[in-house]
Amino acid sequence: MTFTDAADRHYPAFSTDACIKCNVCNTVCPVARVTDLFPGPKYVGPQAQRFREAPRSADHSVDLCSGCGFCTRACPQGVRIAETNSRARAEMVEERGSSLRNRVIADTDLLIRLGVPFAPLANFALRSRILRWIGERVVGVHRSAALHPFARRTFQAAVARRRVSDDRGPDRTLIYFHGCAVNGFETSLGRDAISVLERNGFSVIVPPQSCCALPMISNGLYPQARAKARRNLTVLGDYARRGYRIVTTSTSCGYTLKAEYAEMLDLDDPDARAVARQTWDICELLGDLHERSKLDTRLAPLDRELPYHPPCQLKAHGIGTPAMDLFALIPGLRAWNSEHDCCGAAGTYGLKRERWQIAQDVGRGLFARLRERPAPDMACDSETCRWQITASTSIPARHPVEYIAESYRRWDAAHIGEVARAEAGTQLGAT
Amino acid sequence: MPSHDAVVVGGGLSGLTAGLALAESGADVALLAKGMAASHWVHGGIDIADSGQASSSAAAAAALASLPGHPYAVLADDLPAAVAEALRRLADAGLPYRGGLDAPLEWIPTAIGGLRRAAILPDGQATVLDPWEADEGLLLVGVERYRDFWAGYAARNLAAAEWPGGPARVHAAVVELPGLARLRNLTPLVIARLFDDPVWRRSAWPLIRQAVPAGRWRIGVPAVLGLDRHAEVLAEAVRELGPVFEMPSLPPSVPGIRLHDALRRRFEASGGRLEIGFGVTGVERSAGAVAALETAAAGRPRRVAAGVFVLATGGLAGGGLRGLPGGKLEETVFGLPVSSPSADRWFSGEPLGDGVELERAGIRVNADLRPLDTAGRVVLDNVLVVGSELSGMRYLSERCGDGVALASGHRAGRLIGVGQRATATTTTTTTTRRTAS
Repeated sequence: MTFTDAADRHYPAFSTDACIKCNVCNTVCPVARVTDLFPGPKYVGPQAQRFREAPRSADHSVDLCSGCGFCTRACPQGVRIAETNSRARAEMVEERGSSLRNRVIADTDLLIRLGVPFAPLANFALRSRILRWIGERVVGVHRSAALHPFARRTFQAAVARRRVSDDRGPDRTLIYFHGCAVNGFETSLGRDAISVLERNGFSVIVPPQSCCALPMISNGLYPQARAKARRNLTVLGDYARRGYRIVTTSTSCGYTLKAEYAEMLDLDDPDARAVARQTWDICELLGDLHERSKLDTRLAPLDRELPYHPPCQLKAHGIGTPAMDLFALIPGLRAWNSEHDCCGAAGTYGLKRERWQIAQDVGRGLFARLRERPAPDMACDSETCRWQITASTSIPARHPVEYIAESYRRWDAAHIGEVARAEAGTQLGAT
Repeated sequence: MPSHDAVVVGGGLSGLTAGLALAESGADVALLAKGMAASHWVHGGIDIADSGQASSSAAAAAALASLPGHPYAVLADDLPAAVAEALRRLADAGLPYRGGLDAPLEWIPTAIGGLRRAAILPDGQATVLDPWEADEGLLLVGVERYRDFWAGYAARNLAAAEWPGGPARVHAAVVELPGLARLRNLTPLVIARLFDDPVWRRSAWPLIRQAVPAGRWRIGVPAVLGLDRHAEVLAEAVRELGPVFEMPSLPPSVPGIRLHDALRRRFEASGGRLEIGFGVTGVERSAGAVAALETAAAGRPRRVAAGVFVLATGGLAGGGLRGLPGGKLEETVFGLPVSSPSADRWFSGEPLGDGVELERAGIRVNADLRPLDTAGRVVLDNVLVVGSELSGMRYLSERCGDGVALASGHRAGRLIGVGQRATATTTTTTTTRRTAS
């Protein structure tokens, strides 16, 4: 409609004038589905927006929005509801301040800096019921919330040498934005991602990077988020402007780089625009390679069922479900889509003492479906969703690219002689 | 750069019907929509046509088909098969409907106590179509604190209305359902989800029964009898309360959501891909045809190529047409020529009577649903137009919106053969992007 076309993308609240109060957003909201405390996106978004003058925070229930974005995508009028809500929360935090708890759990870089050097101790604390109970009482992080054990060494430290590894130019070199999950918690995912990309002929550079800032954005801590984002843009912008593609293994980091730096944080310089344009989710990139017949499809069978849950942040990309297309290339792999809206985690939302039950209720249908059709593990593209699913169902959850990596490894193992002969032949030919 | 046999733009009844027909025939089809369609707003019944006099939908549609330029003039042949197909699909999806093209159009009550005619209704509403026995009264049961269904108001209006063949008496009652007093946000969806819970509804039935006075009654309730487990809730409601029917009210419409969900689930189960939330921002053309669309994905536009495109964007109400300064209308995806009455006549007529002239605006098509220019030449070879985007009807007063959606969606599916796989064209293509005005 004309109004939203005219509305500047940097002022999502302008689009709220196009709301016709049809209630479609409320019908798709996972949070309103499970709790009466949240009146739904229509009320805290377009309706409350009319009262956000001074003081700006007219309606504090906006803080119950988990930021999943279903409302924005369902709106027939193009109202940026979730984005309006995020900004409204930031204004509320600016006016009323933020809890120490929120400032701590939103600063993932800090948590990794503190947790990784003392990983054995920190992980013991995460497993200790009494310490978790104290943590809930004192800090406000729910005792059953999904907290992943820290890695013994950060991914950055493990791959430091790659920062200057062979740069073969923008077409054949990818910039890997690993995000906090890989850096401090799931380092093997980072290694798998690099191996899959290298197998497809790319060099992979891992530049120094900060948290993408999404946890800060979703806790309304915009000034802190802007500082993180600017640090990332300085590094990534230089590559992006020269035509390098940035690859992420976290759909939430990826969406932040693509959209939220501009739409939430008002970062709209050449660096930010280049980074938005050049950022690819890893499955999106592999799917694109396949569409152009450039994907290495020498994939060994994985004969099994694989439940897959597409995270909310992936849906926000507007790229479909590329992981499902990739799974279809692996012989024997029978992947099925959870067809459930949201797991409830929503980043740090489900960690909070007062939100944990809501997050559980949001994800309940998903957890039930996963238990109905048991599988050894399941796939999901976003880390906090994986951790929530595992904590709630005891089913291990992995990133889709880990299955691609495993299939490649099995192919290699089955063809080891063949590959060795081929390589020997190449070397002989070269000499 | 995904590439499909067919891409449907728009996720309403016409788009889903076309998409389903294609997916079921084995085509690789993607459906793109910028947001949810009107299904969440409407009553969930299927209106084919009604002139107010015709005895059946078939007769009313035949009358409309004789009007020059009316979509039914082109689509009438497809209507019987399209309706049968739609009812079969919905029944298979666990959402059976009653009635059909030749069923008599009966007067049924609305949530504000008005009367409208209907012939095809979901089972949840269909009991209202049964003839009223001499000793049978209509009891409207409202829910305390639910604001979009005022049983007393509706009953007063109905008692005063001329209702041909209607019940001898109309009565109203309001019940307090368990737990609602605690809730602040009482939408029909909230109540429908409560009814999905077998434990909760076991405590609700006696409270409703208590409100039924002595005598023989057919009970009208707001359309909240379950969402995901509607069939089960409805069967139980009939066991507990006797003849009962739902009355749709203000959005969000639970029957509309059930209809959308049933078609959507079936579309996806047939292999169709559905992406809601990203409008079309650019069109790549190649030699009189469309090669690809660009959608408003995050970060950068996403190119979606296909052999054929179905435009199901829903006319003025759906955002498929928009008005420009100076009395012009624009088709919002491809910029197709819009057939429209002159701007000075746009608003002549009664909006809630026979409708205004502007309603007739839309895309003129040939029998193959290809868009035409003013001289009657096909504008784009591989674009088909369906649903309310078509010109020449006034679907509010003619009640033909659903029928045109089904018939045109059905024809689109029939016309598009499998195997129109997009060929990678590297020849001269031009991409036009819509820019913020």
